[in-house]
Amino acid sequence: MNVSAISAPPPLLEVRGLEKSFPGVRALSGVSFSVAAGEIHALLGENGAGKSTLIKIVSGVFSQNAGEILIDGVEQNFHSPEDARRAGVATIYQELLLFPELTVAENIFMGHAPRRLAGRLDWREMRERAERLLESLEIHDLAADRVVGALSVGNRQRVEILRALSYDARLLIMDEPTAALTEPDVVRLFKIVRLLKARGVGIIYISHRLDEIFTLADRVTVLRDGAYVGTRDVARTDPGELVQMMVGRTIENLFPKVEAPIGAPVLEVADLVRRPTTRGVSLSVRSGEIVGLAGLVGSGRSELAQAIFGVTPAESGAIRIAGEPVVIRSPGQARDLGIAYVPEDRGTQGLVRPMSVLQNFSLAALGSLSRFGFIDRAAERRLAETGVAQLSVKTSSLEQVAGRLSGGNQQKIVLGKWLANNPRLLILDEPTRGIDVGAKAEIHRIMGDLARQGVAILLISSELPEVLGMSDRVLVMREGRFVAEFARAEATPEAVGAAMMGGSGTLRGAAA
Amino acid sequence: MTSLAAAPPERRVPRWLARHETLLAAVLIVALAILGALNNRFLTLDNLLNQGRLMTEVGLIALPMTFVIITGGIDLSVGSVVGLCAIALGYSWKNLGFPLPAAIAFAIALGAICGFINGFFITRVKVPPLIMTIATLALYRGFAEGISQAHSVRGYPEWFYFMGQGELFGVPTQLWLLVAAIVIAGVALDRTTFGRSLYAIGANETAARFSGLPVDRIKLVVYTLSGLMAGVSAYVLVSRVTTTRSDMGIGYELDVIAAVVLGGTSIFGGSGTIWGTVVGLVMIQLLKDGLALTGVKGDATIVVIGTVLIASTLLASSLQKRRDVGG
Amino acid sequence: MSAIAMETRAAPRASLLRRLSSQEVLLAIAIVVLALVVGAINPRFLATRNLSDILLGNAYVAVAAIGMSMVIISGNIDISVGALIGVLATISGSMAVAGYSIALAWLVPVLVGIAVMALQGAVIAYLRIPAIVVTLGMLSILKGGLISVTGGKWITDLPDSFHLADIELFDILPMPVLIMVGATILAALWMRYTAQGRAIYATGGNPEAARLCGISPQVTVVMVFALHGLFAGIAALLFATQLKVIQSTVPPNLELTIITAAVVGGVSILGGVGTVIGSTLAAILIAEIASALVFVSISPYWIRAVQGGLILLTVVADIVRRQRRVAGDSR
Repeated sequence: MNVSAISAPPPLLEVRGLEKSFPGVRALSGVSFSVAAGEIHALLGENGAGKSTLIKIVSGVFSQNAGEILIDGVEQNFHSPEDARRAGVATIYQELLLFPELTVAENIFMGHAPRRLAGRLDWREMRERAERLLESLEIHDLAADRVVGALSVGNRQRVEILRALSYDARLLIMDEPTAALTEPDVVRLFKIVRLLKARGVGIIYISHRLDEIFTLADRVTVLRDGAYVGTRDVARTDPGELVQMMVGRTIENLFPKVEAPIGAPVLEVADLVRRPTTRGVSLSVRSGEIVGLAGLVGSGRSELAQAIFGVTPAESGAIRIAGEPVVIRSPGQARDLGIAYVPEDRGTQGLVRPMSVLQNFSLAALGSLSRFGFIDRAAERRLAETGVAQLSVKTSSLEQVAGRLSGGNQQKIVLGKWLANNPRLLILDEPTRGIDVGAKAEIHRIMGDLARQGVAILLISSELPEVLGMSDRVLVMREGRFVAEFARAEATPEAVGAAMMGGSGTLRGAAA
Repeated sequence: MTSLAAAPPERRVPRWLARHETLLAAVLIVALAILGALNNRFLTLDNLLNQGRLMTEVGLIALPMTFVIITGGIDLSVGSVVGLCAIALGYSWKNLGFPLPAAIAFAIALGAICGFINGFFITRVKVPPLIMTIATLALYRGFAEGISQAHSVRGYPEWFYFMGQGELFGVPTQLWLLVAAIVIAGVALDRTTFGRSLYAIGANETAARFSGLPVDRIKLVVYTLSGLMAGVSAYVLVSRVTTTRSDMGIGYELDVIAAVVLGGTSIFGGSGTIWGTVVGLVMIQLLKDGLALTGVKGDATIVVIGTVLIASTLLASSLQKRRDVGG
Repeated sequence: MSAIAMETRAAPRASLLRRLSSQEVLLAIAIVVLALVVGAINPRFLATRNLSDILLGNAYVAVAAIGMSMVIISGNIDISVGALIGVLATISGSMAVAGYSIALAWLVPVLVGIAVMALQGAVIAYLRIPAIVVTLGMLSILKGGLISVTGGKWITDLPDSFHLADIELFDILPMPVLIMVGATILAALWMRYTAQGRAIYATGGNPEAARLCGISPQVTVVMVFALHGLFAGIAALLFATQLKVIQSTVPPNLELTIITAAVVGGVSILGGVGTVIGSTLAAILIAEIASALVFVSISPYWIRAVQGGLILLTVVADIVRRQRRVAGDSR
């Protein structure tokens, strides 16, 4: 029986059953949701949940393995970003893709500039159109002929938005747009977003910041481990429910915290400064203690770790290891002091992908594995075999090329490489990002074991539940400074989240 | 994200057989046979030893060049360093009155300094190796020409020619030097932490740094070695041709890089062996010799070398792509 | 149009002048200052004959530097251009002597230049072989090929009409200078104001972003090398037609001089930045320095050292400037 006499117009964007796999990794497994014209639709999920893969598919950078994309109810087949642009989809990535040597107008129209005869650019037309675009977004303080390289980050982002609009975008995707903005710029961005919404542009807004989602968005979709969890009306949900959807279990079950005896301080940092990202940080980590370092993307946690580890040495401030003052100018020095750092980006910073599992395992311990400079191959092999066994690394052989392993196993190798040195301080930077739940649990178990053996652990993580579940103490960084400390008992998601976001940080805001 | 188990398909061909170096060695043997058949003077011991003598100058430089290219860099200034060191040798002896052994040591040390300067700017100032060594290619050659004013130096004492023209137990002197250098370089690359670090730096410099490897120091060392060997090569060269001229070493960079790339070292860094470089070196020398014996003049051989360079890079690149995609 | 929005803009040419970076101004000042200083030491340096010799005799370097600048801006390099010019000059002279029409003797080398360079560009762009390897190989092929085919034979008895470089338009404007200035201005305008010209900057500055804007880096690179070949061909003509005898050899040091002109002219070796006006000025400056060495009794054998030093100085200054800008950007 025909139910509706009047059918509602199809949504601006609808994705159905999207699936995408890369070698060794299933990035999306059946994601469906829709965005209406004039809707601000937030996309939420932990790092590695599949958000960036999803938007790359919708913007035509990747093609999906299965599933459909529909614009206005019509199925689309995007083979390139050009196709998506022509269909009215525009994306603003976190890494702004601008040409710093060219002007605002040139950047806006790069690739589709108005032309005259014989390919000559129509300068005047381009400038006029740029001015009209600026006007339409009520931007009065940006000139079309300014060189982009001289603009602030906030202004550059506006140039990107204008570029999207120059293609008559009807669906605008914004990936963590406020990650690098100052407060006034955020206010201006919100104004523009609301203007666009009023004009009927659909917006997919990806952000970690729950307060922004509650201020700006109409609906929010949550992804977890590449799967679709659910969509909620922002007005009818709350942060707790969203966090639960992101994580999947209650905190207690996921991160069994094992008690470890806590000893003397291994790391003490006082007023560490390295401009522009680290602005006077002091903290300490004791033997057997797991200190969690929470903060938003861009709060300077990795930079702090890299300053301690000597990759980008500190400009001023004091570091003491086991009570001894030290000056750390290189990672080699840090390693010799018993510090280990498992970096954030395992592909480019942690692992040498073309090398074998065996060679990656020994990379940080070559000094101790060699005599007069000659590598003791037998000892190297024993080290790798032990590491593979202890960390349960799944590999066909030690000669297997490391880059072919799954994310979780790669991460274990990076960890194992450092454990080979028996460090007394272990700094973990997003150790479980982008790996499957099983490997995650194993890494947490290993962390617990290490703590019980007396290793001091500094855990940097953007997954609040992980930080809250694993840490004895939680420190919060914001904009390069250390702003709050919570003992395990006091560390609740609301309190920590509020400290991360700053201000009174009401997570419950009326939707605009 | 759920992960798939990573289990590569079983290899049907043993890995060592499909390696670039083995294939090249096979081609080498075939080439030897063909050239030997075409010209009966070719496969005589005399001729082969002489070829060994001739290839030492390029060979000595090709060894540290292998290191440099493995780390993902390049050194185009080696030919100019040879020229400058040759001039330094001649002029410090003839015009400055150094005792000849001191002049030799000075020339070699100068080579190391030239290499060190390259390495310094590349690691501390972060000048890209390509443009840095193009600049020093000009600068060092310029100094050679400026100091010598295109005059040559002659008249070295008899003992001086032993390195370049003499024999030890029936084998040309410099060949012993080359063989020793090959062994040392090969062992260093394959079995020491230094060698392992080179591969890591070339494959992923950032990860190497994050793993505590002293990346800048190692790069400085390889560029210094490159200059040092160019200095030694200059000594061998002058000793062989009995004069010092400012145009010595011109074009060496082509032969050296061709030998390294032909031998299987990827121009992009991260892989390569000394053994491969040696095979590449021998092949190029034989190519030149074979061409000469069939009447092709010296200048034309660089046409062939240039073609070989491009072709072997092409081949290596497509083999690499297949290796990445397949099992 | 909002009144606050921006200043009214003058015609495009004026804006080009306004956009001239400090590097070009620096070079212009250096040219003048050097002339005055050397002239003070040896007044014969400032004789009209000498100054015109410097300009006319080296105009071809500036023309070739235009193409080289484009190549470097696109993020590549070429060291084969010197050998190519030698080959093209020989082709031109040989054709003239062999009785072909002068027009052909001028046209064919240019076409060959375009073809050879475009081929290299294609290998670089589509086969992904690094530019240094391809052009190093090609340099040897051209150099060796030239010697083995001609044996270094000198080409004499060139017909009078061959000498393009000696022609003076309207009896006052010498061809080489006319071509140099004309080519520079045309190329500068083209790079600044057409979409294809902009594509070169985009490809060199941020190839990923360029691709996402619909620009094909591969097509751009082939186009750049083809243009490079065009300018190399014209340069070869200017070079060959000012000689009474063509030596069928590769002019020594030529590619280095051309690269020096491009780099010192402000083209950043990191890609994406620079103008051809700078490289022309730099070419003039280098020629001036070479002549100056003679007039102040410094041996001309030092010219290569000077070039190497100039490249090093310019590149280091560029890198340091960039690093300082990055540090200054930080909030």
